[in-house]
Amino acid sequence: MEERMYDLIFICRPDTPEAEIDKLIATLTHAVEEKQSKVEKVEKWGTRRLAYRVKKLREGFYVYMVLRSGHGELFKELERRLRVNDAVVKYLTVRLDEEIKRQEKLSKRREKRNARRPRKTAPAAPGAEQAATAAG
Amino acid sequence: MADETHAPQQHSPSHHSSSHSGGRPPGGLGGPGGSRPPGPRRGKRNYVRKKKVCRFCVDKVDLIDYKKPEILQSFVQERGKILPRRMTGTCARHQRWLTVAIKRAQNIALLPFASEL
Repeated sequence: MEERMYDLIFICRPDTPEAEIDKLIATLTHAVEEKQSKVEKVEKWGTRRLAYRVKKLREGFYVYMVLRSGHGELFKELERRLRVNDAVVKYLTVRLDEEIKRQEKLSKRREKRNARRPRKTAPAAPGAEQAATAAG
Repeated sequence: MADETHAPQQHSPSHHSSSHSGGRPPGGLGGPGGSRPPGPRRGKRNYVRKKKVCRFCVDKVDLIDYKKPEILQSFVQERGKILPRRMTGTCARHQRWLTVAIKRAQNIALLPFASEL
């Protein structure tokens, strides 16, 4: 099955020890790898102010993961684990591959257009180059 | 440059209407047949509206990241409402992406749904 990109962000209570967060990340990673999927990136953003109160908390410890998976049902399992964990107050999974695909398409098109029809600044550059070679 | 165009839009829409009535001082009627050059004299409103440009188009953004609340913040009112296109000058396509990004950011507490007082 075609692989898809996902973002997974979850917020822990700010008073949870970092070791426990690491353990949670490890179990999640393990669950991901069991499904022949990959964890592309794990980022701990650290304690941030929440925009609104969540479970009476004003701050939270953010963890951000990028996953690549072909199994949608994996996220059912991951979300269940996050829901069950007492330290986690909020989580969000977003499927991003379509947006990334769109972005790549647009960037490619922009690059192509710039290469084919150079802007005002571009023709000046080859001219300068020629002058440089003539001088040299 | 982009900041210039955005600065006056931070105000609430009520600011607009008040500038209409209060924009022309009472002395504006003076000098009939006087020194005014014969130019285009359009009604009472005579201010030039600055052309707003989509900030994402200027920066050539292909993907609006919901994980960067600092950027999204400037397209949201103080109480958390998404600013309309006519206020920010964002193009239709980027506004479409922007709303999605803002709503995602709200879901993970990076942006408020409605900020408390």
